Amino acid sequence: MIEVSNLGKRYGSLEAVKGVNFTINPGEVVGLLGPNGAGKTTIMKILTCYMFPTYGTARINEWDIFDRSLEIKRLVGYLPENAPLYTDLNVLEYLGFMAESRSLKGSQKKERIERAVEECGLQSVVYRGIDTISKGYRQRTGLAQAILHNPEILILDEPTTGLDPNQIAEIRDLIKRLGKEKTVILSTHILQEVEATCGRVLILHEGKIVAKGTPEEINREMKGEVVLEVVLKAGSRPTGAKAIPGVRDLLHVSSPEANLHKLQLALLPESGAEEAVFDWAVAGGYKILAMIPKRLSLEELFFKLTREGSEK
Amino acid sequence: MNNMVPIIKKELKSYFNSPIAYILVVTFLVFSSIWIFYLQTFFASNIASLRGYFSVIPIVFIIVMPALTMRSWAEERKMGTMEVLLTLPFRESTLVVGKFLAALTLLAIMIALTIPIPALLSQFGNFDWGEILGQYVGVLLLGAAGISVGLFVSSLMSNQISSFLISLFVLLALTLISQVNRVLALPPWAANAVNFVSLGHHFSNFQRGLIDTRDLLYYAIVSALFLYLNIKTLVFRKW
Repeated sequence: MIEVSNLGKRYGSLEAVKGVNFTINPGEVVGLLGPNGAGKTTIMKILTCYMFPTYGTARINEWDIFDRSLEIKRLVGYLPENAPLYTDLNVLEYLGFMAESRSLKGSQKKERIERAVEECGLQSVVYRGIDTISKGYRQRTGLAQAILHNPEILILDEPTTGLDPNQIAEIRDLIKRLGKEKTVILSTHILQEVEATCGRVLILHEGKIVAKGTPEEINREMKGEVVLEVVLKAGSRPTGAKAIPGVRDLLHVSSPEANLHKLQLALLPESGAEEAVFDWAVAGGYKILAMIPKRLSLEELFFKLTREGSEK
Repeated sequence: MNNMVPIIKKELKSYFNSPIAYILVVTFLVFSSIWIFYLQTFFASNIASLRGYFSVIPIVFIIVMPALTMRSWAEERKMGTMEVLLTLPFRESTLVVGKFLAALTLLAIMIALTIPIPALLSQFGNFDWGEILGQYVGVLLLGAAGISVGLFVSSLMSNQISSFLISLFVLLALTLISQVNRVLALPPWAANAVNFVSLGHHFSNFQRGLIDTRDLLYYAIVSALFLYLNIKTLVFRKW
């Protein structure tokens, strides 16, 4: 059980986290989603007792981060951003150090290391120096270190950065498997990652939680807006696009070439506006070169969420 | 204490997996041998004593101690491994003392490798082994103080080179400050104060093989003070 209440962090004049509240129950897999600088890493650093918040507090299993940090550190496995490692050790030496630091000894230490190596697919690099292995292996070594002591709570800061698509799929599977018996908090700025692994999402923007819910709920909210990009060939800039039935707004018009025009239309959901757009183009004598339905990108989603947040 | 073992092991592995430990040890041994046999003309002076040998140690340590400690925290900071280390279930004091003991171990190995010098020379003259013991104790204590200064400076930096240069400057000032008395006629209280804070001055008794509790206490206090400041830096950093 992780309880965060009115948590805030200032770095000098910059307020990276602004009064965040949330609760995570045992066994949940929760994603912190947000663009860079949203405060995800700061929240993780506070939960792992790497730093204190400026105001507010957090409690993990009823232990306050200010005075029970040692107990919390024992309970938590942490993969920091970019998986920092000791480059002058080899993989096995590094995992050995981490295991001993977690008070694992003798056969238990050996067994836990073997298991973590296997789960993270590190068999081929155990004797290689960490300075010689690829980014993907480093990331996986970091993950192996985090799960070494079979922690109740796993905190993973961008666990799939620097991995190729196959490795990403493997790590997501691993996280899903771990999530069955552990509490997992992971941060990411990739929407699909959250959809693939998390049971619940907290969306952060500029240090505040701007939305929360299951990935399905977040998705539904986003589907309220469908954006259609239309590329037209026409002698002059097309007019009257705003008046097409089912079109809510004309977001953007550009003309990359003299007789080529790109329009971004925001459509009302399930209005069948695509057909109306076609008819409008025919009536105006424009030739449609492309019609591309677009999902909101993360940036647009944040823009939308924060704009709505401030309107409310 | 038991908890400290992984830290010491890891630090020593880091020292010996990188060239730094070897370079330091070899440079130290070569330089100190040149010093005694060539520059101090040990054989020509025909005295069965290593005072000349140990007289240069405070100066050598001004360079060796910063080189030994410059990476310890600065590199952790730069590589981001600080985040790994400080989220492991260790107290700040365990980490600091662990790093201190690891550096001290390396220093002890380095000093132990100089033992063949008196051992071989003992063939040619009658050495006072009590004096030599006192000298070795002094070297270890001086080294311990230098290490804790270097560790503290390293904990404030995120760059090894600046850590090296600043520790070098601090140790240079602390070691040589007593030389002021040779140049200036300070009032007695000021002269005593200057001598009291000087790392070099407190070594002069050890250099003659004398173990004085005041000197022992001085080195213990300096080491403890800078280790304490180092722990406080780590705690303060959390804010």
